[in-house]
Amino acid sequence: MKLVFLIAGDSIRALLHHRLLIALMLVSLIMTIFFSVIMRQTRANITTQFSVEVTETNSPGLPKMSEDDRKKMNEAMEQGESAIQGFFYAASSFGGSLVALFIFSTAVTSEIRRGTIRLTLSKPVSRLQYLLGKYLGGVAVMAAYAVIASLAIYLFSESSHVELSPVMKYAPWLMFCRQLMLGSLAMLLSLFMHPAVGCVIAFVSGNGLYSTGNPLYYLLPSYAPFNVFILILRGDVLKGSDVFLLTVYAVDFVVLMLLLAWGRFRTKEVC
Amino acid sequence: MAAIYTENLGKSYVRFFGGQPETNALKGLNLEVKEGETFGFLGPNGAGKTTTILLLLGLNRPTSGTARLFDQPVGDFRVHRRLGYLPESVNLHDYYTGRGLLEFYAALLSLPVSIRKTRVEELLHLLGLEDAANKSVSKYSKGMLQRLGFAQAMLHDPDLLILDEPTASLDPVGRKEFRDILLELKRRGKTIFISSHILSELETVCDRVAILEKGELKRVGSLQELSTGKSTRMVLRNVPGVVLEALSRTPAEVTMLNGQITVKCVDLAMREMIDELLRQRGIQPEQSAVETQSLENIFLSAIGTPPKL
Repeated sequence: MKLVFLIAGDSIRALLHHRLLIALMLVSLIMTIFFSVIMRQTRANITTQFSVEVTETNSPGLPKMSEDDRKKMNEAMEQGESAIQGFFYAASSFGGSLVALFIFSTAVTSEIRRGTIRLTLSKPVSRLQYLLGKYLGGVAVMAAYAVIASLAIYLFSESSHVELSPVMKYAPWLMFCRQLMLGSLAMLLSLFMHPAVGCVIAFVSGNGLYSTGNPLYYLLPSYAPFNVFILILRGDVLKGSDVFLLTVYAVDFVVLMLLLAWGRFRTKEVC
Repeated sequence: MAAIYTENLGKSYVRFFGGQPETNALKGLNLEVKEGETFGFLGPNGAGKTTTILLLLGLNRPTSGTARLFDQPVGDFRVHRRLGYLPESVNLHDYYTGRGLLEFYAALLSLPVSIRKTRVEELLHLLGLEDAANKSVSKYSKGMLQRLGFAQAMLHDPDLLILDEPTASLDPVGRKEFRDILLELKRRGKTIFISSHILSELETVCDRVAILEKGELKRVGSLQELSTGKSTRMVLRNVPGVVLEALSRTPAEVTMLNGQITVKCVDLAMREMIDELLRQRGIQPEQSAVETQSLENIFLSAIGTPPKL
């Protein structure tokens, strides 16, 4: 296991020196900030508009705001807040998916392309240890990304005085699980084809083809249950048991993909 | 026990798309390198030297035959504990410093922490990289990368060193230092397998060499065996005219200078014929020497290029 951690540490070091990845993470961060600013502005506008309406309706000589109108106003406010959170989540999730695809699809293939894998595998390191180390390195970077996203959500809700949707407390974890699934599939595909093609297939297979009417739905992996965007918008509640089941699903999926990746990698010519 | 053993080892590349024919990079290689031997692996570009090395390291898979290192199949990564490898083009992780990279590889080799630091410092000193030890590898010159690559191969003092074109990027001083290190390793009984184009380098350190061309093993043997050509040169004096006439009728090359006759026999059959002729006439050669060839000439004749005169 020590060797797996050593490879993982090396992988993290390599990723931190990767300009493209840093650029991708920055773009993702900027995108998240951009969405949150826009949403915050929208919320401020809605609040101002309602305040004006409330002030006007409460003015002397005008009929007072009915209970129904007040309810509708509150609902609209809540919806606005949910939308803000939903879009915030969607932005960070999309950015995270791009980062995950990049990290995992190039983890092994970039070393093969540069030839650095020769020296590593000439040491007493098994291919399984190497593959697990590379995956674990990616997991660590994605975990850091999820922690940053969670902090951003928390800071955003605190600074905007937005009450977090009940689903939001699970959102970063589910986003993390989804990205690990996506990454494991991208890593597997990158061992068979060009990493960029693998990334597109990994992304499309779990997203675009999601529909119970589509027979491929039953064959291809699905990341859709991990996407809580709609739940956030609706203000639905996600039970802890659902999160647990989704986590088990993600673990199963990742293990299966890694086993398949190992099956391919153990016989793959690396030079 | 053989340090390296291959039996009918072959490698073909087939391109599925584009209608390219199959390329036989290596054809049934049978090779045995004994423990403690310094073995040179020669061949022109594309001969299959690097392919062989990649197969020995288990980085590529053979299409036929088997290969073993210290009696273990090459696919068993545990045998790599006894092996140090320097690739032809040294591609190193350039996000480390020289020292950091050696420490990383030392950790991969599970060297105890107590000796790891000492060993790294020793090698940095030995290869003249002390001043650059804290510089990023991305700023290293080609020669420095080659030295660092050599250092990582020697970290765990391996029993077998596989070196692919080890001095390609070194200057003459670097080559001399490298040769001295190899001779020291040889003295300590390490097995060294070197693939190189620089024949003079192999000539000074190798016990045996193999010559490969187009994936086929052309010749293998000790330098003495290979350089001992079949051609013999005899010097004769006071040879009667009739004998001289008889000699000139043979296919041997006969030259006369200042009364000294030199007879050159290019193969064993010719030599036996001349010996017989001289014996019948009761003539004893004044000198008789088997001609030796330089490694370069052995190499050139093995790959079908006329040797230098």
